[in-house]
Amino acid sequence: MSLVLEKISAYLGDTRIFESLSLTIEPGEIVTVMGASGSGKTTLLAAIAGDLPTPFYAVGKVILNGHDMSKVRPEQRRIGRLFQDDLLFPHLTVGENLLFGVERGPKAMRTMQMKEALQRIDLVGLENRAPHTLSGGQRSRVALMRALLAKPDAMLLDEPFSKLDRALRATIRDYTYAHLQERKIPTLLVTHDFEDVPKAGRVIHV
Amino acid sequence: MVGPLRQGVTGKVWRRAFGSPIIILFVLPLVVSLLFALGAAFDLSAWQLLWAHPQLWPALGLSIFTGLMSVLLSASLAIIIVAGLYLSGWWPRLSFPIGAMLAMPHVALAIGLSFLIMPSGFLARSVALFSGWTTPPNWITNHDPYGLSLIAALVLKETPFLMWILISILNRQDVRDNFNGQRAVGLSLGHTMTSIWQRLYLPQIVPKLVWPLFVVFAYAATVVDMALVIGPTQPPTLATLVWADINDSQVLNNARGAAGAWLLTVAIAIVALGVWGLANVIFSRREWLTVGPAPRALIKVFFFARLKFSSLISVYLIITVLLVILSFAALWPFPNLWPEILSISAWSRVGLDPSAFFTSGVLAVSTTVTAFALVIAWMETQPQMRDKYVTLLSATALGVPAIVLALGQYRAFLQLGLTGSTFGLFLAHLLPVTAYMFIVLVGPYRSFDSRWQASASGLLASFPRFFWAIKLPLLKAPLLAASAIGFAVSFGQYVPAQLISAGRYSTLPMEAVTLTSGTNRPLTAAFTLLLMVPPLLVFMAAAHFGKSRWSKL
Repeated sequence: MSLVLEKISAYLGDTRIFESLSLTIEPGEIVTVMGASGSGKTTLLAAIAGDLPTPFYAVGKVILNGHDMSKVRPEQRRIGRLFQDDLLFPHLTVGENLLFGVERGPKAMRTMQMKEALQRIDLVGLENRAPHTLSGGQRSRVALMRALLAKPDAMLLDEPFSKLDRALRATIRDYTYAHLQERKIPTLLVTHDFEDVPKAGRVIHV
Repeated sequence: MVGPLRQGVTGKVWRRAFGSPIIILFVLPLVVSLLFALGAAFDLSAWQLLWAHPQLWPALGLSIFTGLMSVLLSASLAIIIVAGLYLSGWWPRLSFPIGAMLAMPHVALAIGLSFLIMPSGFLARSVALFSGWTTPPNWITNHDPYGLSLIAALVLKETPFLMWILISILNRQDVRDNFNGQRAVGLSLGHTMTSIWQRLYLPQIVPKLVWPLFVVFAYAATVVDMALVIGPTQPPTLATLVWADINDSQVLNNARGAAGAWLLTVAIAIVALGVWGLANVIFSRREWLTVGPAPRALIKVFFFARLKFSSLISVYLIITVLLVILSFAALWPFPNLWPEILSISAWSRVGLDPSAFFTSGVLAVSTTVTAFALVIAWMETQPQMRDKYVTLLSATALGVPAIVLALGQYRAFLQLGLTGSTFGLFLAHLLPVTAYMFIVLVGPYRSFDSRWQASASGLLASFPRFFWAIKLPLLKAPLLAASAIGFAVSFGQYVPAQLISAGRYSTLPMEAVTLTSGTNRPLTAAFTLLLMVPPLLVFMAAAHFGKSRWSKL
């Protein structure tokens, strides 16, 4: 599994945001894109996900495992995303949030996957809780696991640790990276915090 | 000694007194009317008379049927159109056409639609172009026995209303931010936009729609003016049956009408509860919410939303153009598409006796200005925690069927000698206007950022200066929009106007409804246009002056 970006440029109307960005991310590699706010980091991620809002547009190619994804609908790209906010769906329980991305199939099998996932993030027995009753760290872990349960071929992280308090940050960060590397998922991280860069990870400045 | 620190505005006793006008002019008349209406329910002989009425049960069935169909169809249509247009290029421009459609009084739309679909109407003439008809077809469109044309008129009118409610929910900043994030997550987990609407957006929106949906249902099941114009007649809906009884010269029949109005109200409440319970059972199957992503949507219900919305607007436009032509048509034989003889005789008759226009105009302006002052005085002087009482009463005023409320109002005003008086008529119009304006304004007014005032105080601005120079300009758009709604609501009142005027005053809806039972179509069209145009102009003015000074044309 690898994620290849070929000459991606993004524009807002006639204004160029960034130009001709090419990059290959190997399986399990986490590449960091750094830049000041307004430099187009989030635009890059939206372009890769295929979810760029209308005044923006992007050109270039997104190749995932050898398949060109540039024209594929966002929901069929199998590219997972984590955001600054955990974005757990407020009207669904923790368990239902996890089930939301699990592929269709027999109910017992899906439930089993959900319970295993809860076990892996040390939240056994919390499946019927409402998201807002969880702590910030717990919610981050649920959001991560929800993204992983959909079995993404690549992952985009949009400053997912920036709203966590300092004590929690390092733990959740290491935890997230460990899970992504274990599953050999190519990952693109945008951040403006040097602490977020994984050890010996590649860094690109825009 | 340490004295208490000076407190904010809510600490002042004299300011609290400013909340009282809304109590005297809105809350009190409303509560008294409701009590008198309730009193009318306890008359055993009236109920016996009602049970003996041969048309009672078919009429009740028709009322419930038209109500349920209207709310079901308009809600589906509104959701499908809004979902299809959400965040599209049309999204920022939707409020103008929707507001313009909302500004059209219900009865005006019903009259226009009846002219369109009646056997000698424009629709049949268009068909005649191809079929070669020389006489009107024997369609039963107006007053059809199943109330289908009434349902069509109600759906046309309620769809923009529900769209407006949906859009105002979706445009709230917090909702917009949450939904944008949820869309990105949903897509990244492999769900289609249709699935995201079904599983994420709608389950969060629908709870906020319960009361508007009930109001639409209750309105549709009890509407009088539209049903008189376009509804079934043999049997009629229960609301029109009751209406005839209430306006009867026989006291016994008046009592029977009151009992009928209550029967209808109770039936609506029971049906609404039943539907609500059923919906809860269906949607409590939570597995449905969390079914995993499907490769593509099975049914693409949100397709052609632009076409659907354009069609909706087109019906309004066609009706308006048709009414204009008709008002000048002295002779317009079937199957011609254009009148043979044009004349201004209808308009000159209107010009000879403008009293109904004058009465409606004065009532609309005075009630809107008064309601505006009442609501602002309340918001500025009362703590926010008290809003819920006025909101509850306003919602009650809109949810209780107009015939029941007007019935109680009529009996109360009769005791107080207010029927047939200018002040009584004013109070009767002020009631729905204030209710609407309070509900529309409470959100924007209370969410006004209090830091503006703190910052103005820091610049040594007095409260009046802050209020006129900062607060009103910043709240300009919602204040003007609420005023336009108040004006349109007052302009469209039929039931309370007819009862409280006691034959001494005539307003435009009363004239228009009376004219539809006659044969003078140009005059009917002229009065309908008089009823339509002022609310539309007021709405356009509000939209124009409500624009931010930086927004482009």
